[in-house]
Amino acid sequence: MASQVVPQLLRQHLANLAADDERISGRGQWQGREIELEVDCLYNADGSAKVVWGDTIVYVGVKFELREPYSDRPTSGSLMCGAELRPVAHRKYEPGPPSPESIELGRVVDRGIRESGCIDMDALCIVPGESAWMVIIDIHVISDCGNIFDAAGLAAIAALRNATVPAARYDVGEDYKLAVALTPIICTFTRVGGRYVYDADEEEELGGAERLSITLGDNGNMHSMQKGLKGTFTAAELSEILDVCATRCGELRELVDSKVE
Amino acid sequence: MGGYGDVKLLNDDGSRLDGRSIDESRPIEIKAGVIPAADGSAWVKHGLNEVVCAVYGPMEAHPRKIQLQDQAVIDVRYNMAPFSTSDRIRPGFNRRSREISKVTAEAFASTVMVERYPRSKIRIEIEILSAEAGTRCAGLTAASVALADAGIPMRGMIVGVASGKVEDTVVLDLDKAEDNYGQADLPMGIMPTTGEIAFMQMDGDLSMEELQQAMDYNFAAAAEMHDIMEAALRARYEGGDE
Repeated sequence: MASQVVPQLLRQHLANLAADDERISGRGQWQGREIELEVDCLYNADGSAKVVWGDTIVYVGVKFELREPYSDRPTSGSLMCGAELRPVAHRKYEPGPPSPESIELGRVVDRGIRESGCIDMDALCIVPGESAWMVIIDIHVISDCGNIFDAAGLAAIAALRNATVPAARYDVGEDYKLAVALTPIICTFTRVGGRYVYDADEEEELGGAERLSITLGDNGNMHSMQKGLKGTFTAAELSEILDVCATRCGELRELVDSKVE
Repeated sequence: MGGYGDVKLLNDDGSRLDGRSIDESRPIEIKAGVIPAADGSAWVKHGLNEVVCAVYGPMEAHPRKIQLQDQAVIDVRYNMAPFSTSDRIRPGFNRRSREISKVTAEAFASTVMVERYPRSKIRIEIEILSAEAGTRCAGLTAASVALADAGIPMRGMIVGVASGKVEDTVVLDLDKAEDNYGQADLPMGIMPTTGEIAFMQMDGDLSMEELQQAMDYNFAAAAEMHDIMEAALRARYEGGDE
């Protein structure tokens, strides 16, 4: 495991590797790690997924609550997506109120799902102005060995697509499958050794610079983008990344499709 | 222990609603070494409960005011994931999780050889993914396996077990319905290798005789579960499973 006290040495090592078109893991520049996706794996969640992405592990649980609709949207349900970077996931995480890092993770995943329009919010209304479903997505990172954004985004959409609205528990009819029309997918690229790579691992994040996360919808349009951490990039770099992103999102969408009916 | 007498929890033939006999535990599965980021870790599925535990350390204890000059500090966090219960729970600590964390930390401070690591800290992170009665016990069991997986010396592994009382009958390992509508619950952390008890809580109503019966059930169950914990560790290090 990389130590926090030698980032300077690590950065030099990563730069040397990048100059030879190599990565510390032996992967290619745009090659991701092995992914295992499991859905419907948490007993008390209304929708759930577990993603093992290399050594990174993320659980997502979806729950529903009946709420009074927001006054400016009296005929709509609502969506909430939060992330917890609990101290279980890495020695670097401390207990306490949500950190800026966990809030960013939750909000980036939230935007990708919300803006894709994959959930028909009006269909979640039961009585206008009185009661509507709130869909709550909770991201629970269990092991952070790099690229928690993509692992969380994948688990979130898989859990949504497998979610059941618990109408019977709230005495408002029979349970039914949540309608999720689209599958937004997030891909994250990190500058390591001066160039961008896809799916940075723990050491690459430690010795790397800024990251770019992009969520693409089924039609290839963008639904959320986020530049995080210290560093800058050029328009040409973004354009190259978007090409890779389109291919990779398609593959990950097929993976989700294969696990959810 | 609400609703005493309102709900039928035993069948006419004396068996329980889920078909178990009164001294039968729910099925248990344990895996060691499930969290790559951690120094030691474990996964426990006990009935419908699902728990993961990570251990970090021994590491420097900071801020310095928490350091103990002659031993390590055991820092436990028992946390329920928001989706672990039927009604979603708000993320973050509450009074219940703080209390469980405190008594769990004190249990492990009594069994881990803390005197070997002065001024340091050992972090035990217990995450409840699915809660259906008995999560504090599953957490104790998971933490013991995770500590062993991290190579931290202990006088023995604490095993989390519970017995309780339903319809005036002492039964082993209460499930959700029995916990909600039963008359008593006695969770314990037992070290089968020494016979010591490192953790105990109780609520409800038990006679002296019933307590004795419940303890007998707990000790027998702990000995059995200890074998499963040991097998999980062997599978990890002797390559039995993987």
